[in-house]
Amino acid sequence: MTEDIEAMIKLDWDISKKPYPPKVIKLASGESMVVREASREEVPVLLDAIRPLTTVSKDYYDVVAARMYSELLSWYRYRARNEFCLVGVVDGVLAGLVNNRHINEKEVWSHHTIALKRGGRVGAHLFAAKHEFSFEYLGAEKIYVVAESPIGFRRWMNEWRLVETGIQHELQGATAWVITRDAYLKDAKPRLVFGERPVPKDMLEQSKHLKLVTPDVLEEK
Amino acid sequence: MTKFGRHDDKSLMDLLVEASIKALEDAHAERARIDSVYVATMLAGELTHQTCVANALTDQLGLLPASAQRIENGTASGSSAIINAYQAVASGVCDTVLVTGGEKMRHAPAAEITDWISTMTHPTAEYIHGVTLPSLAAMFTRLYMERYGVTREHLAKVAVKNHENALKNPYAHIHQKITVEGIYKSPESEINNPVISDPIRLYDCCPVTDGAASTVLCSAEMAKKMSAKAIKIGGVGNATDPLAVCERKDPIVLNALKEAAARAFKMADLKPQDIDLAELHDAFEILEFAESEDAGFFEKGTAHEALENGVTSLTGEFPINPSGGLKARGHPVGATGVAQVVELTWQLRGEAGERQVRRARRGFCCNFAGFANNVSAIILEGE
Amino acid sequence: MSEKQLVGTKCNSCGKIMYPKRVVCSNCRARDLADIQIGDEGKLLTYTSLYATPEGIDQMPLVLGIVEFDNGVRVTGQIEDREVKIGDRLLPIWGLLRKGKGGKEVYGFKFKLSVGNE
Repeated sequence: MTEDIEAMIKLDWDISKKPYPPKVIKLASGESMVVREASREEVPVLLDAIRPLTTVSKDYYDVVAARMYSELLSWYRYRARNEFCLVGVVDGVLAGLVNNRHINEKEVWSHHTIALKRGGRVGAHLFAAKHEFSFEYLGAEKIYVVAESPIGFRRWMNEWRLVETGIQHELQGATAWVITRDAYLKDAKPRLVFGERPVPKDMLEQSKHLKLVTPDVLEEK
Repeated sequence: MTKFGRHDDKSLMDLLVEASIKALEDAHAERARIDSVYVATMLAGELTHQTCVANALTDQLGLLPASAQRIENGTASGSSAIINAYQAVASGVCDTVLVTGGEKMRHAPAAEITDWISTMTHPTAEYIHGVTLPSLAAMFTRLYMERYGVTREHLAKVAVKNHENALKNPYAHIHQKITVEGIYKSPESEINNPVISDPIRLYDCCPVTDGAASTVLCSAEMAKKMSAKAIKIGGVGNATDPLAVCERKDPIVLNALKEAAARAFKMADLKPQDIDLAELHDAFEILEFAESEDAGFFEKGTAHEALENGVTSLTGEFPINPSGGLKARGHPVGATGVAQVVELTWQLRGEAGERQVRRARRGFCCNFAGFANNVSAIILEGE
Repeated sequence: MSEKQLVGTKCNSCGKIMYPKRVVCSNCRARDLADIQIGDEGKLLTYTSLYATPEGIDQMPLVLGIVEFDNGVRVTGQIEDREVKIGDRLLPIWGLLRKGKGGKEVYGFKFKLSVGNE
């Protein structure tokens, strides 16, 4: 019986066949952030990283962390299809995570963005990277976005010039905003998507063994 | 002073009390009687719904029935409070006075803060058109770039210097290393350092900060009784310029500063070359250049070269903003003018720790209301 | 026909021209002042494109500038054109500036490029 469910979930178009080529991004601090795809096997570490945030109400970290937790856990346990997660890693330390879910090749629900390292636009760079992955490597035509927090709204809807749709986003029914592939390539990419490839070998290797530190929001008084 | 930053768990009064107690203890105030309390705050009413903060503080500190006044002069409230306190003591009316400046701002939405700050501009010539202080700083910067060859890289370097200094300042709001690569040279700098008002970017502007700073002023005789570590106020000055930037004689000359500095130098019987270090009002990094020139430390249009040559770094010949300035120490607007005096006091006493300027004997600070509409200058002398 | 004109103040004592209007001469403090039209065309001294716009402003970005008229008077205002440069000639025009408190429409002078700039 379980095999049947898992067979249903692994459908004909399989996201895992097209990997994301890692890149490195320069932060304001001068530090380099490696952006790479997280593997399913890493999910337990990612869950450890975001679990403490599920009780932090500031900036809606709790809602975002709780939802992302369930998305990653579902992916790990083969109860969600075509999820991917990108991580940002600075000096081997997990700095942020983003995830999307492809409904099919062309249509995507943008899920979440969590910056563990604050003040360096880690979230903005990772949000851009997941758009880059979906549009440029996975063949997406449209990405639907919603934002839980006012910071998210200002960043995503305004900066990316998203267009309001009438449809409900799968995340609890808020109105979804959309960006098309065309708009991404012509308008958003030149302004908002950055990074250098390939990542230097040592840096990439270091980024594979994720270290966790206390998220900045928990340190802020 | 309190640590500058975000204080969600403290009220404005908590911050004022905390800073005041530290100042009173440092000054051995128990050996004197505080005659008057001046409290500097620009937005206490607007953001914290409390207006008579000066007598409230006097009450909280157990200093009743001392005289009390709130001083409001926009973002120059702090220095105006210092100057008023100075005048109270110098006139002989008071012997010992407490001055505390504070602001609680971070809880309010950014757009609301920007709007309150914009109320310092000319209502019909500027405000109504959508002018904000960053837009004035941007137009000012564009002219400076056009006339003197200042570039975005120069501005980035000021921010890098001030962030570096603040890393050595335990009271500073921003403890974040930044590099010219990260905020200017790399392609990623477009995201890291986005445009606020072209050509001004995020890292060209100071943050919004909570915090309070406090100091005790007294007569020379009282100083002998109270503390061996008293620092002399050598001179003060305050002056005004047309409210609308466009109505000024030359829009990029800070005439109110020139005038205020001239008054302070005259009172102190000193010249700019006698000064060892300065705390300037870098609400926008372009102002660090313009102020250092118009106060008389560099020829107009050359301060960016001095920065390039390391003159204004912590170990240079004329360190500017060893505290990190408004950019990195932070800018709780009513507190800033007092915080500058507190920093210079520590520097002149040799108590500035890792950010201590060598041979700091005379210091200069200036504090702005609005975009240089009303400026104070204060000179402090050690030994 | 009354086309709205940019009107300032001229001092009958010293001749100083001021904008916006005043009741005391900013140069000599005299009180004998009269209305005067500021001018039809000025040159752009400096400008900016503001992205962090105030509430009630719909333009994104908001282009602002300081325009200097031949008589030396300078006026700050919104600019309708997106691409401008220092030295461009601009015309003052009357129009909707923004929404004020309570959503009320606010009108005033703003600027647009004259024909004939490069």
